[in-house]
Parts: sequence; C-alpha cells; structure tokens
Amino acid sequence: MSKEAFMRKLERALVKLPVAERQDILEDFHEHFHVGMQEGKDEAEIAAALGSPNQIAKELLATYYLDRAGEESNVGNVFRAVWAVIGLGFFNLVVVLGPFIAVLGCIVGGWTVGVAFIVSPILVLLNVIIYPDTFRLFDLFASIGLTGVGLFISIGMFYATRFIVKLFIRYLSYNIKLVKGGLKHA
Amino acid sequence: MNIQFKKGVLELCVLALLDKQDRYGYELVQRISDNIAISEGSVYPLLRRLTKEAYFTTYLQESKEGPSRKYYHLTDQGRDYLHQLNEEWKAFTEGVNELLREVVSDE
Repeated sequence: MSKEAFMRKLERALVKLPVAERQDILEDFHEHFHVGMQEGKDEAEIAAALGSPNQIAKELLATYYLDRAGEESNVGNVFRAVWAVIGLGFFNLVVVLGPFIAVLGCIVGGWTVGVAFIVSPILVLLNVIIYPDTFRLFDLFASIGLTGVGLFISIGMFYATRFIVKLFIRYLSYNIKLVKGGLKHA
Repeated sequence: MNIQFKKGVLELCVLALLDKQDRYGYELVQRISDNIAISEGSVYPLLRRLTKEAYFTTYLQESKEGPSRKYYHLTDQGRDYLHQLNEEWKAFTEGVNELLREVVSDE
C-alpha cells in the first residue's frame, strides 16, 4: 500500500472524530512515513509494518467514544462506547456484550418495577372504569402504598444507574488496555 | 505469545523507553519493533491514550532534515506508573521463572 492509500483509508475510518483530533492523528502518521523514508525505507514497507489502518482507527475510536461516555454518560454515548469496544475483537464480544446485556437487564428491570408501582393507582382506577362492579377499597389503598414503595425504588434506581454506568465505563477502559489490537500473531 | 498479555507489556515498553530521555514517535515504534513483533501502527493509539491520561506531555521540535517532530516526555505521574508496572512485571516474571525451574528440576 502506498502512503497516500494508507492515509486515505485512515482518514476515512476516522471521519467521526472531531476535525482537530483527526488532523493531529494524521499528522503523527505523516511524520512516521517521513522519518521512515529518510531512513531509506519505501512507502509500501512502512505501511505494511504499520498494519491495517482500519484496526488502528478502531482503537482510536474506541478510546474517543469511551472518553465521551465518561464525560457525559447519556444513553447514546454509552451505547456508542460499548459498540466501539466490542468492535475491537472477538474476545470483547464475549467479555463486553455479555455483562452489558446483564447490566442493562437489571437497570431496565429495576426501573420497570419502580414505575409500575408508582402508576399502580391509575391501573386500579382503570380497572374500576372497565369493570365497575369489581371495585374494592383495599385495592386502592394497597396501590397507594405501592406508589410510595415505587418512589423509593425509583430514587434508588436513579443513584444505582449512575453508579453502575460509571463502573461499567471503567470496565470498558480496562478492556481497551487489555484487549487485542496491534499485536501480530497470537 | 498470547495477545492480551503482550498488549499490557507494550505499555510498559513505551514508558520504560521514555524514562531516561524524550523520544519521538517513529523512534519509539522502531525501538519496540526491533525487539517484539508488533503492528507498528498500534503504538500511536497507545501514545495518545497515555498522553490523555497525563502520563506524557508532547512538544514539537525542529529536526535537521525536514519538518518538526513530536516528542514525548514522561511526567512524574507517568514515572510513578512506570515504577508500578515494572514492579508488577518483575514479580510476575520471577514467579513464572521460579515455577519453570521447579517443574524442570522435578523431571
């Protein structure tokens, strides 16, 4: 591969990065080619030793998305970070996707219980409207009690979610350090 | 050798190379790939990550031939991290060597 082809591939793979960061990265590789050629190597030789531009880009993107998810842990950022880390290699498919689905399941489950408890009086009233003869005062009081419990669960989930997301992002960073990328042969 | 294993070692190599002097990217890559089989391009993502984690600072310096080069400088924080990794590495290799010695002398 020529220098131009290598740089073009790398640039295309990094298109999602902010311009300044992408330029900075391309500059590093530009310098690498330049020094290599001064030492008498040809472009193809240098490019071959560098490895696949796509694999290099994947690592850079994973780090970038993870930083963003750490700064602002909204749903989109966390999902993009998880996806990028999984993309690094098959190993990550197993050690990231599995725990991610489990953690996501717990969070969704907890919130569903909390919200369902909170809205339970509405369900009782709905029931009364549809089947007026089944109304029991006990149902109404029990459901109001559940609303209280649901509020506590939801408040708990709010803090738990923040904590779990933070922990999971740390786990992803640890993975980037550990996993694959760049090393020839197993 | 196992890939996960080597990746952690790569970090140690980069930090160790910068312990005594500042170096530029190509130089770091070359020194490592002289000794270990790596895809050279993967050193750059590593350098960026460690720079973001404040283990390095970078500066540009003119070179005799051609455009200026980006040099990496190890920070105090980076040096602490290097010592920590180095200790872990020593304990690990000593452990493995000890085990190998025992097994070999058993046979």
